[in-house]
Amino acid sequence: VTPALAGVALAVVVGGVLAVSARAPRSAVFGLLIVLVGSSFVAEPLPESLGLAARLVAAVLAGELLWISVRGVEFLTDGSRLGWPAEVLVAAAGGAVGYGSHGLGAPALGPVEAQVAGFALAALAIAPLLNGNDILRIGIGLNLLLAGVLLVAGALGGTWTPEELLVVAGLIAVVGGSVAAMVRATRSDGGLLELSAGMARARKPEAHPLDGR
Amino acid sequence: MTVTPYLVASLGFAALTWMVRGRREAYVASGVAGLVATLFLALLLDPAASISFGSIELAGSAYLRLFLLAATLVGIGLALSGLAGESRDHGAPVILATLGIGGLTLGLADPLAGVMAGSAAGAVSAVITVVPTGDRAGATAGIRGLRAVAIAAALGIGATAWIGRDLSDLQAQPVVVYGLAYLAMAGAVAIRFGAIPFHLWAARLTDVIPESALPVVTVLAAAPFAIVGAGWIEASTGSLLVDLGTERGLVLAVAVGSVVMAAIAALLQDELEHVVGYSIVGDAGVALLGLVALGPESGGAMLTWILLLVVGRAAFAAWAASVRASFGTGRISELYGWMTRAPILTAAFGLIVVAAIGVPGFAAFEARSLLVGRAVEGPLAPLVAIAVLAPLAYYGRLVSVGVGRPRYLGRGEDWRPNVEPVDLTAPLAWWRQTWQRNRRFAGSVVALALGLLAVATSAGAFGAAEASADAARARGAPVIASPTGDPGSEPASTLEPGGTD
Repeated sequence: VTPALAGVALAVVVGGVLAVSARAPRSAVFGLLIVLVGSSFVAEPLPESLGLAARLVAAVLAGELLWISVRGVEFLTDGSRLGWPAEVLVAAAGGAVGYGSHGLGAPALGPVEAQVAGFALAALAIAPLLNGNDILRIGIGLNLLLAGVLLVAGALGGTWTPEELLVVAGLIAVVGGSVAAMVRATRSDGGLLELSAGMARARKPEAHPLDGR
Repeated sequence: MTVTPYLVASLGFAALTWMVRGRREAYVASGVAGLVATLFLALLLDPAASISFGSIELAGSAYLRLFLLAATLVGIGLALSGLAGESRDHGAPVILATLGIGGLTLGLADPLAGVMAGSAAGAVSAVITVVPTGDRAGATAGIRGLRAVAIAAALGIGATAWIGRDLSDLQAQPVVVYGLAYLAMAGAVAIRFGAIPFHLWAARLTDVIPESALPVVTVLAAAPFAIVGAGWIEASTGSLLVDLGTERGLVLAVAVGSVVMAAIAALLQDELEHVVGYSIVGDAGVALLGLVALGPESGGAMLTWILLLVVGRAAFAAWAASVRASFGTGRISELYGWMTRAPILTAAFGLIVVAAIGVPGFAAFEARSLLVGRAVEGPLAPLVAIAVLAPLAYYGRLVSVGVGRPRYLGRGEDWRPNVEPVDLTAPLAWWRQTWQRNRRFAGSVVALALGLLAVATSAGAFGAAEASADAARARGAPVIASPTGDPGSEPASTLEPGGTD
């Protein structure tokens, strides 16, 4: 275990805990931003500068779009129903599994810290994905899941090549932007970020027979 | 020409169209111009041309060209169909972005990069639920679709990263490792297609987006991901001596369950958009059979079927959208007599049914038969062979309603074109007026055109079967170190942990 790498991985997990625990939307987005930026550096050796820069730009872009989408939001997101201490334990459990299964049955080409952080993020993502009741919380959950699985992929296959990182960057930016678009659309409808209770959109008049009844 | 100009144009026009979404006319003009431009670029694509960016290769192929041509035509048709439907917003920027990233997915030779790009295509397609202006219901369906995309991405990336390295020193049972990886990728493809039991997100979509937008999310964006996933499965497990019987049985159950249950659900639904949605799920079930029946021939058949899935389901969606625009209702129970009131839609429907069911000798019919024959063995085989024809039931219901005595339908607008001489003093005003008067006609013609394209695709026109077979061979070639062993040696499932060949 490299102390510096372990420190970055720890920061990533802390960001994940903040993202799923915070009830203030901007705090949750800030936590996610820490995850997206920090996870770029959990690699041994570090990726080449071009790929790293692309991934960082994508991470900041995704975070910025989400930040803008919740600008001026006074109402709260769901946050964790269990509270941050429980989320810390969830992350610790996930991280322990990642540490114990490094390589998943075969020699790994990447650092154990990446797999620890990846499993921790994936564990943190489960509750928002399964039980999230608002758009932002589900969006944060799926971003955490993707960040986690990308970390695990790096732990198994080693440092990403610059070209692979371009594709990774595209995925991060697109997913972040898509979630931001959903949050924005929800806000345009007024009120909270909660999911729609009745899914069916009001049908337009022409959806019904005009005559003949 | 390589695929790069196509990608640049589609993504560039998508961004431009998105930026001007606040101005309706600029939005429509930019979207249509982008779709037409990408169609020309798809026509100019050289199947043999490839380009490398460092370690990433963008390879052209006949199948890539065919897929992009078909998908772009479908995109144009769906965008026009959305425009023709009154009060139905269309998603040209999302269609363009989905086409571009989908093309990137198919062009990437590396499966891990392909899975990630395919996931990005799914993520961008989900935005169609909130364009050009969204609401809570649209965002709710969209975020659920996005969740499905993310879970599928996690499964796909995890599987490719797990197996995509040297496993000659594997410390676990090969059957466990390869079995789980196979299940992860097959599950990812099933989730993306909305196969039963992973269909809830797709079912919710039908409640909030117009018929013409549905295939963008569930077919257009999912197909490239499925093609990459199928190629990866073939390359990583196809040549193994590992016995994946149980895992394949599970995927077979999902595939057959989707075919049968979707046909039943479509038969019971009263709303056309739900019928379209479940028909996509059912046809996707046939495609999933390609993940069970491993081998280059099955891979080729699956790719052929996916081409039909893209075109045929888009044609059905465009038909449903046009029916709603024409008669002011999408409820089947209120559509008695639709056939007698809409000759063009009747012809389009006939073409769609012929394309979907097929006739012996059609490429899609033969592909489906091959998939069923290779995937299912024993007494179940004849039952599955009959089950894949189950869509005849809901098509039959639509016909019986269509030829029935009109109960609720008014005469509606005239189904024929209504064009007045061009007013040279105000051509734009003339064009707007003409378009407004011919929305119904335009929607019907789009459905008819897509129906014709579907029949051509089903028949194997444009060399679809050959291109699919070549693509399957190229994608399915084993590219990784794996416990393949010599032909005839002991199956790896019986090896001790850590023991490969």
